[in-house]
Amino acid sequence: MEGIKAHKDPKLPPPIEVAEGPEWVEALTLLDRDVAHTLLAAARTLYPHDGLPERVYRRVVLHFDRMAAHSPAAAQSFAEFVDRVDAAMPLPFRELSESYRVAVLKGMETSAAFRLVQRSTVRFLYDDVEVWQAFGYEGASVHLGGYATRGFNDLDWLPDPPAGI
Amino acid sequence: MTQYELDDAGVVVIIGSGAGGGTLAHELTRRGVDVVLLEAGKHLTAEDFVNDEWGGYEMLSWLDKRTASGDWRVARDHPATPSWSCQVVGGTTTHWSGCCYRLIADEMRARTVYGDIPGASLIDWPITLDELEPYYDLAEAKMGVTRTNGLPGLPANNNFKVMYAGASALGLHASTGRQAINPIPYDGRPATIQDGFTVTGDKVGSRWSTLNVEIPRALATGKLELRPQSRAVLIEHDQAGKASGVVYVDAAGTRHRQKARAVVLAGNCVESSRLLLHSASGLFPQGLANGHGNVGRYYLRHIIQTVWSVFDKPVNMHRGEIMTGVVNDFVRHDPARGFAGGYYVELNSMGLPTTAAFLDPGWWGRDFAGVIERYAHIAGMLLSGEDMPQAGNCITLTDELDAFGVPVANIHYDEHPNDLKMRSHGYKSMVAIHQAAGAKRSIEAPAYPASHNLGSNRMSARAEDGVLDGHGRAHEVPNLFIADGSAFATGGACNPTLTIVALAIRQADFMAGQMAAGAL
Ligand SMILES: Cc1cc2nc3c(=O)[nH]c(=O)nc-3n(C[C@H](O)[C@H](O)[C@H](O)COP(=O)(O)OP(=O)(O)OC[C@H]3O[C@@H](n4cnc5c(N)ncnc54)[C@H](O)[C@@H]3O)c2cc1C
Repeated sequence: MEGIKAHKDPKLPPPIEVAEGPEWVEALTLLDRDVAHTLLAAARTLYPHDGLPERVYRRVVLHFDRMAAHSPAAAQSFAEFVDRVDAAMPLPFRELSESYRVAVLKGMETSAAFRLVQRSTVRFLYDDVEVWQAFGYEGASVHLGGYATRGFNDLDWLPDPPAGI
Repeated sequence: MTQYELDDAGVVVIIGSGAGGGTLAHELTRRGVDVVLLEAGKHLTAEDFVNDEWGGYEMLSWLDKRTASGDWRVARDHPATPSWSCQVVGGTTTHWSGCCYRLIADEMRARTVYGDIPGASLIDWPITLDELEPYYDLAEAKMGVTRTNGLPGLPANNNFKVMYAGASALGLHASTGRQAINPIPYDGRPATIQDGFTVTGDKVGSRWSTLNVEIPRALATGKLELRPQSRAVLIEHDQAGKASGVVYVDAAGTRHRQKARAVVLAGNCVESSRLLLHSASGLFPQGLANGHGNVGRYYLRHIIQTVWSVFDKPVNMHRGEIMTGVVNDFVRHDPARGFAGGYYVELNSMGLPTTAAFLDPGWWGRDFAGVIERYAHIAGMLLSGEDMPQAGNCITLTDELDAFGVPVANIHYDEHPNDLKMRSHGYKSMVAIHQAAGAKRSIEAPAYPASHNLGSNRMSARAEDGVLDGHGRAHEVPNLFIADGSAFATGGACNPTLTIVALAIRQADFMAGQMAAGAL
């Protein structure tokens, strides 16, 4: 979004590096490449923002990879998720058109594997500073002096309330 | 720092350093009482805190497993974290957003004023508002609550401008309300810089917390020993049935037994009930102080819900203090509305990460994406209202043990018909306010994990109706006290912390008086 700049707290680690080309999958540590591509298609189907570049969804999958490396139970759930979405139709999930992908996901909404993928996509996608920038969330502010002089009350399309209200 | 011996039976042991425990520690030590404060979490400082929603959540929250049952949506949306509080020195006062309202007289006489509501187990408080008011005054002064003690209100921010425009158009009354956040420097703490990150620790320190106010002052008396990373796992008693000490586990995993003259639980409701239930013995087979089976029962969590609306033009709700707005028109009990009790409509904002997570936790697809993309154009409000105490809504122990050998707690909550009527009424009011300000779309978002945990060790005039007397002392154990929200006889509508602090100051007066008289 123009006119704003999103900031992550400078104390936090920088975003995960992700390559622009197909070699991005080389950064995976645990997840199988096919699994990663399928999860990528799932993340994009769950939260389809046409204006966002592919790399933000790739970073989500790289977070899944870290989760899987950290927790065998999570790794198991991701594997189960991919097996189920791939078995649902005569084509692998990531080759399906959007409406079919949506139908497949709708059919498994109550499963624990779906829940993990859906919640984790929300957790990581909307925590990505590039997404913040795109949607107008400026983020960390104390290191910039807060918003006291940077627009905390700059809304000008409604009348100002009386002073001291 | 002062240190006390483990077998020093002259100390008061307080479990938990949040709103209740941290305040009580200060109020007792300044009256000359020796206190050991056990806190499960670490002692962090402003340096450690981050301006990051998930980073702060993971740093501060109580993340130990709990389970949930009942028809509340939280059991589906957040089955392992149904209640939301912190595990750190300062407790959830490192995280809270500072709204400070007082209970009103009718709320403290809920059974008398609301009548006999089928399925609800209302009681009147064993103390009156008149008795509590002097302590509210003291609490507001120490916390620096805006619009008290000569402090101005906080200024209107963008999100408030929306609330104000909508409320005024409907003939309702909105103001920026009262918060324990400095609009100007007060009590050695700076004015807010409107950073919007009180909920991740507050690096600036303009908001009151026990971490930045009560605990340093208690330490300065030379009467407090603070033991962080010390998890209480059992309360012990002597043959006469008086509390005699607390078993706790330190950071290295070593178990200790601290002897005590009196024990105070202030672990934020769920933990306090859990510890009492777990501390069962031959003398107290159902759990400590639980002869009437009321420990854990009548659990309350307020009617909490949010509305998020999308406007044509930008709001930028993330800029500035989070909850600086209130609409007071629905606070009083009004039977004409068709339900008992009242509610506050308060301003609320969240950053993009948590707005996305809490908007509607199972929601996905193009419709969700279309809403969240408009984040900069979203305004928000939160409702805090009174829920009905019910005998079946309770904290119990499960068969699963945690890392310390204490059974994991289950929280059961079914909504009472009165709760649902208030929810529906509240959503309509909130949506109407936003629509009157020009909202294009309003989303009725569900409750998030319980942030106002109350009532599960309640005060009662008669021992058979609750667990504690009007001073927060167990009916059955004369030197066992509770200083957290679980002591509330009923929930009232407003955010609970100011009342928790006022009750803790009153309790300190009582305890110190009893000690001076040789009765404790
Ligand atoms: C997001 C959010 C926003 C909020 N905003 C507001 C607001 O604007 N206004 C308001 O009035 N209230 C607000 N609250 C609620 C407020 O934080 C609580 O009411 C208040 O902090 C409760 O005080 P307490 O002393 O009961 O518990 P806490 O402040 O949670 O402190 C309990 C402490 O006990 C410790 N503990 C627990 N068990 C043990 C054990 N076994 N051994 C050792 N230590 C233990 C915990 O680690 C914790 O530090 C908010 C809460 C949340 C989650």
